[in-house]
Amino acid sequence: MDPKRRRILESTTKSCAQMVGDRSRNFNPGQPFIQCNTTNLCYGGKPEQTFPEFPLDTENQSLYQPEHEVKGANQFKPIPNVNNAILDWDPRLVLSNLSFLEQKIHQVQDIVRSISNQEGSLLPSVKNTLVSTNPSVGHLGSIVGAQTSSGINGGQQQNEVMRMEVPKASAYDDLIEGFNGDGNEGSELINGLKSHGNEGDELIKCLKSSEGEGTESVPVEDHDVKDCDDGVDGENLPPGSYEVLQLEKEEILAPHTHFCTICGKGFKRDANLRMHMRGHGDEYKTPAALAKPNKEASSEPALIKRYSCPFVGCKRNKEHKKFQPLKTILCVKNHYKRSHCDKSFICSRCNTKKFSVIADLKTHEKHCGRDKWLCSCGTTFSRKDKLFGHVALFQGHTPILAVDETKVSGISDQVRGNEVMNGIVGSMDYNFAGSTLDDVQILNDRGVDDGRGCFSPMNFDACNFGGLDEFPRSAFEVSESSFSFLPSGSSGFIQRSGEN
Amino acid sequence: MLCSAGIPASTPSSASSTPSSPSPTSSLSRPEKRRKTAALFPNYSPGKVTTMRNPQPSDSILTVLPVDLLVQILDRLPDTGDRKSCRLVSRGFLRAEALRRRALRVLRREALPSLLRRYSFALESLDLSPCPALDDAALAAAVHTSGGLRTLKTLCLARATGIGWRGLEALLAACPRLEAVDLSYCVGVGDREAAALAAAGGLREVRLDKCLGITDVGLAKLAVGCPVIETLGIKWCMEISDLGIDLLSKKCRDLKVLDLSYLKVTNFCLQSISCLGKLEDLTMVGCSQISDEGLRFLKNGSNSLRSIDVSRCSNVSTLGLVSVIEGHKCLQKINAGDCFPELVPPFLTMLGDIRHTLKVLKIDGFHVSASSFWIIGMDCKHLEEIGLAKCKGVTDQCISELVTHCPGLRTVDLTCCHLVTDNALIAIADHCKRLECLLSESCSLISEKGLDRIGTCCSDLKEVDLTDCHINDTALKCLSRCSELTMLKLGLCPNISDKGLFHIGSNCRKLLELDLYRCTGATDGGLAAIAAGCKNLKKLNMCYCTQITDEGLKHLSCLKELLDLEMRGLVHITSAGIAAIAFGCRSLVELDVKRCYSVDDASLWALAQYSKNLRQINISYCPVTDMGLCKLLGTLRCLQDAKLVHLMRVSIEGYELALRASWDRLKKLKLLGGLRHFLSPGLLQMLKARGCRIRWVDKPLVLGV
Repeated sequence: MDPKRRRILESTTKSCAQMVGDRSRNFNPGQPFIQCNTTNLCYGGKPEQTFPEFPLDTENQSLYQPEHEVKGANQFKPIPNVNNAILDWDPRLVLSNLSFLEQKIHQVQDIVRSISNQEGSLLPSVKNTLVSTNPSVGHLGSIVGAQTSSGINGGQQQNEVMRMEVPKASAYDDLIEGFNGDGNEGSELINGLKSHGNEGDELIKCLKSSEGEGTESVPVEDHDVKDCDDGVDGENLPPGSYEVLQLEKEEILAPHTHFCTICGKGFKRDANLRMHMRGHGDEYKTPAALAKPNKEASSEPALIKRYSCPFVGCKRNKEHKKFQPLKTILCVKNHYKRSHCDKSFICSRCNTKKFSVIADLKTHEKHCGRDKWLCSCGTTFSRKDKLFGHVALFQGHTPILAVDETKVSGISDQVRGNEVMNGIVGSMDYNFAGSTLDDVQILNDRGVDDGRGCFSPMNFDACNFGGLDEFPRSAFEVSESSFSFLPSGSSGFIQRSGEN
Repeated sequence: MLCSAGIPASTPSSASSTPSSPSPTSSLSRPEKRRKTAALFPNYSPGKVTTMRNPQPSDSILTVLPVDLLVQILDRLPDTGDRKSCRLVSRGFLRAEALRRRALRVLRREALPSLLRRYSFALESLDLSPCPALDDAALAAAVHTSGGLRTLKTLCLARATGIGWRGLEALLAACPRLEAVDLSYCVGVGDREAAALAAAGGLREVRLDKCLGITDVGLAKLAVGCPVIETLGIKWCMEISDLGIDLLSKKCRDLKVLDLSYLKVTNFCLQSISCLGKLEDLTMVGCSQISDEGLRFLKNGSNSLRSIDVSRCSNVSTLGLVSVIEGHKCLQKINAGDCFPELVPPFLTMLGDIRHTLKVLKIDGFHVSASSFWIIGMDCKHLEEIGLAKCKGVTDQCISELVTHCPGLRTVDLTCCHLVTDNALIAIADHCKRLECLLSESCSLISEKGLDRIGTCCSDLKEVDLTDCHINDTALKCLSRCSELTMLKLGLCPNISDKGLFHIGSNCRKLLELDLYRCTGATDGGLAAIAAGCKNLKKLNMCYCTQITDEGLKHLSCLKELLDLEMRGLVHITSAGIAAIAFGCRSLVELDVKRCYSVDDASLWALAQYSKNLRQINISYCPVTDMGLCKLLGTLRCLQDAKLVHLMRVSIEGYELALRASWDRLKKLKLLGGLRHFLSPGLLQMLKARGCRIRWVDKPLVLGV
């Protein structure tokens, strides 16, 4: 079995795992997966074949070493009603593999969604190329698509079908067997896979590159990456323009984007994942493993990516006639949460301020209750010099004594307009000229929020969909808003837009 | 009706620019006065007049004069006592006075409502600082009954510790044209009061010295509320920092006079201040965090500064002043006293740049030499005042170098210049013909020789300080040729006898202030001469002139203008003498009889009876009892400051009763520290709430002089 194909398989299975819990999408069972070549995959038979014996690529081997994963896998107990017949292989190993798959599938899901939402017209051509090279995937999809999605029986049935049709994928039948014990889950997995049926080709294609990114030691295969890029942007976007991606709500709201390949633990940042990986063995402690993912791909000419908010009608949505793209995925996440989600985090001190981004809450909590410096316009300040600067700036504004607080409400209405303007002027961010006061507030919080990140923007190069994992923190925080006006000729810098 | 409204006999003494003297009409019996008043009543209600019994022909002329002519008459009366007398004559005069009166100084709280009602027509200046027991409620009520003081421009509430923001708000609301407010030494004043002031809007002059509660926020309120402010004094407002000053200089661009003395401000505030294009007078006494670097901000000034005072700024040297002079070429007044005591050459050079304008130079405590004085003298030919107090190295040569080129000098301060001799005085006398003030305390080498020349040449001399100079009667005889003398300090000159005082009394009839501290040679005869000659004497210090007896006090009792009398340690005086003073010196405001061991309850009774204007008293160590103390504190409605240390015959109950009788008036109190634990906490709390500050002293009881 050629390595490429095997990789596709792996990633497809991972997609299945990832799709647990996402059942809302309609899918076309018949469409792209129908051409999948059954001979390449063997989901049935040969239970004696254990996972480690699976002939792996060199790059994959490091991920699938059973010896080193024991520690991490211990956290996850084997599913109680696992089939006895398959106990000759290690269920923990399967679990760890599943979590890896889950991670990868999640990534792929993100990518595919964004691509499918935005450039449907591109899909057919890409599909064709894919189909020609990887026919087996289509077959898998077709088989899966035939299944019903609920109940243990359904899961069993799936496995049986697969066993018949994809006899060669010796390793994965074990994997699927593992799910038989927990039929419901298995069926869900498959279901998830099916849901991606119509996008599967695209998915798989991109997955290759993302896999290379997700596991640091794996070098990216150039031709795959190129395929991906060409297939997505090459055709009808005018040169010099940016590429608009759109993530779906679910991806945006997913808590973790980095997952340990061994124990499955999720992380928000890949640096944390790397730190975590050290616990899994000495090979993760090498400088190479601990280093940031290499940036060789950045040397290629890459198109600048911009992001669209999935919320229709939002100015950040690409359908909007005055569309203003978001610069990074972090921007997307924060924007979506702030603008389109409930503000579920309530400050425990004042019980009035609500936030949808927890970092905003934390920032607020640092100062909450300490805004003892009041202006007659109703603005509060945590520092006296800030208040005095404000008072000096505006005619008629005057500090409020602590005892005078009752008066504030009356005055504040008159000066409210000024205040809003002040916020805007203060932030110097013209992206927000039309934004609400709330946005301004958020904007002010940004400085602290950003303080956490220390990644170079170079991590997030154009062809790297693994960039999902690591939200690059621009080192150019101060000037970023002004940069957002520039035609993005400098692809090296991925500027985040003002709204993060 | 006529009686109730027309007889102001009870009030005039409480409204005056000078304390009252017995009015000529007060001796009239009531019916007699009523008739007289009715007879003088002008043409407002002729019906009334006709109903009255036979008007006396001598008075009738006043009835035909209209009010404006009465106003003209009043305007031609220079003496306040005369005006007061006129006021008591008739309603017409009373009305005329109400129409022309611009300034009012209220001495009694009780009189405030009626005074404000009567004088609300044209009143421009209101001084409530001596008014005892003034609080928000009383002030608000008085202002309310007056119906608004639409013409009031100046308001003085200095030391009115009972006033808070409520009273201020009521007062300021009634005074729409108010321009100047003085709240100095109202230690309880804070941001709320400042906010109340800010509501007045049009204030141009605000004095807030030692308003300890004012912070940057209060100052900011004031700065925002009163953008046209021109004069601001925030001396001793310790809570104000650079931030407040910065905002002030951004908001109040018209500031001309600014006093930042003793604030904890740094050089940063000078950067803000340097933007004030109209600033003329900058006072920064004792700002120890200001240094030469800060003064450098004033380098690029707009030539607006006329006066700079950096005295006691320990980190400032004359080098910093060089920058100030560079930026402000019209400086008239420089006070660098007690700074880094070195006159650096660049400063002396720079003085040439302001040679035409510099009039006042004070370099107290500097190390100086003859050469630097030569430069100063050459450069500053228009110098009018030189301050050399405590300077090291001031010799006769220095003085002569200076004065030969500065004929315009009017004030020479040589305090503690121990090397100065008669030659210096001769040089001064020869060159400075217009000398008005010579301060030579502790210049022990000067004698009658120098003063003779001074007395001969400087006929304009008004103030002389010869404390601790060991001069004799001959020197006083020479000095007495200066008939314009108003202030003479002869403390610690034990060689002075009655003979010298006789010369002073017979020649210096304009004397207002005389200090005879520890002039042990002075006796009753000397006092008689002074009292006979210096009828306008307002302040007399004869502490520890132990030969003085009741006789001397009886002589003094003819001094109707006497305001301040200090006679500590006069062991021979008794209640008879005090009674004579109390009866005679009705204007007395301050009295110090500390350690007069023969002064007992009878004197306190006399004071309580007659010294209605007494505001400040020191009876420490006097053998008074509970009765006397209670009578004194309970009766004197103006008493605000009492020093009651070591009253051996006064019991705790006596203190308690006396203080409870006067708690709402007292603003300052000096008591023995031990009493702190015996006086009831409620009383102390009441006193404190009223703004009274108690100084607890822990001195051992040592009798003797």
